[in-house]
Amino acid sequence: MSDQQPYEPKIVAFLCKWCSSAGSDLAGVSRIQYPANATPITVPCTGAVSPMYIMSAFNKGADGVLVSGCHIGDCHYLEGNYLARRKMYLIMKLLEFIGVEQNRFRMSWVSAAEGAKFAQVITDFVGDLRPLGPQDKLKRAEIK
Amino acid sequence: MINLKDIRETARDMLAKGEARAVIGYRRGSRGMLAEPAFLTKPEEADELVWDPTCFHNLSLYLVHDRKHLAHAGKNSGGAPVAIIAKGCDARSIVVLMQEHYFKREDVYIIGVSCEGTGVVDERKLATHLNGVQASNAAFDGDDFVFTTAEGEKRIPAREVMADRCLECRSPYPKEHNLVFGEDKTGRQLEAPFAALDRFEAQGAGERWENWARHFDRCIRCFACRSVCPMCYCDECVVDSITFPVTTETTADEKASRIRWIERSAARSENITYLMTRAMHLAGRCTDCGECDRACPVNVPIRLLNNKMEKEAREQFGFEPGASIGGPSLVASFLDKDPGEFIR
Repeated sequence: MSDQQPYEPKIVAFLCKWCSSAGSDLAGVSRIQYPANATPITVPCTGAVSPMYIMSAFNKGADGVLVSGCHIGDCHYLEGNYLARRKMYLIMKLLEFIGVEQNRFRMSWVSAAEGAKFAQVITDFVGDLRPLGPQDKLKRAEIK
Repeated sequence: MINLKDIRETARDMLAKGEARAVIGYRRGSRGMLAEPAFLTKPEEADELVWDPTCFHNLSLYLVHDRKHLAHAGKNSGGAPVAIIAKGCDARSIVVLMQEHYFKREDVYIIGVSCEGTGVVDERKLATHLNGVQASNAAFDGDDFVFTTAEGEKRIPAREVMADRCLECRSPYPKEHNLVFGEDKTGRQLEAPFAALDRFEAQGAGERWENWARHFDRCIRCFACRSVCPMCYCDECVVDSITFPVTTETTADEKASRIRWIERSAARSENITYLMTRAMHLAGRCTDCGECDRACPVNVPIRLLNNKMEKEAREQFGFEPGASIGGPSLVASFLDKDPGEFIR
């Protein structure tokens, strides 16, 4: 083995408990092959994802951040994902504005029945992140 | 044209009759021509009040302070409201504070002042213009500002030394008021809304990052932007661990297990997280009074971040901050037609 490990993007994935988390589970039990780059963090609802989580993930060295939840209209708390849609749009625009690559942040709707879609979302994300290389703009210097 | 005598008369009257517990306004400062915030409690102090192009402070900050002092002392206001002199942007800040139930409408008496055809000066622009000459007085005169300097009177077209936010201002007239001085010149816009932001955004992502990286490197985390902002009223600030309350009952364990989202050191990565988080917390609340930009000792264009949020909110969600006391908040409301194409 060479000393230099090939670059593997690290993804922090905030998945809602009711849909995307179950979706990722389905991808697993269905034995769908997809890259293992995402670290899932289960949240009660996408509406509970503070923009601070996203900034913090980048700050601690994430190469990409994914927020995924129930399709519009399917929120367990009725309107959490509507609120998330607004907040995530704003933080996405702000990241873009300061010059962070657009592909570093992504949002998706994955239901509990969409295991294949979850695998696809991760595969696409990893594919888009790979050419960007490591994220060092928002990363805290001392964290290797 | 606003007659200063009217403002003084109103203040004197209110204080004499006990209709206001205090009047928050502007008086001549000790630093050259610049005005400074003034708190009047006696009728005879009313003659100290001034109104000129250097009255840039957003005084609604002191309504927040007043509220905090009262809460701290365990007192209530005693019925009489605080009267405050407010420009268009300041009045919108007051509306946002009321929208968030920070205080009630009857707790404040808004003495509106219209910026009419102009606005307030940008000290930095003015310093360049005056070429090192100190001015001792500034006055409105139609579309011009007139400065008194050692070399005599200097008349400068207002738009050349006005703050960017004033050039772009969409509502220089305080809509929410108890009393208002000056004409409503809404629509007098001297530059398109978000003109400065658009100029910045016209650059590519790479250039934008290079610029911001430089700005973020400069930030010294003095938190002046937070201190001067009427919207940053939280007792505990998520980005600043020293604001977390510690009592004799707080255990070491508790202190250690508190989430520190970011470090307090002025490193670029931490500064980004701070300023970005602040921009998010001000989305839909910032009324573009420009105080953060003005207070920054190292010239970080903080206003651009807040402006970006304001522009997105306006264009995508049809949202105007500080439009009405009963209106919805930006991030606690939604519309079916909100943009969702970016979601996979």
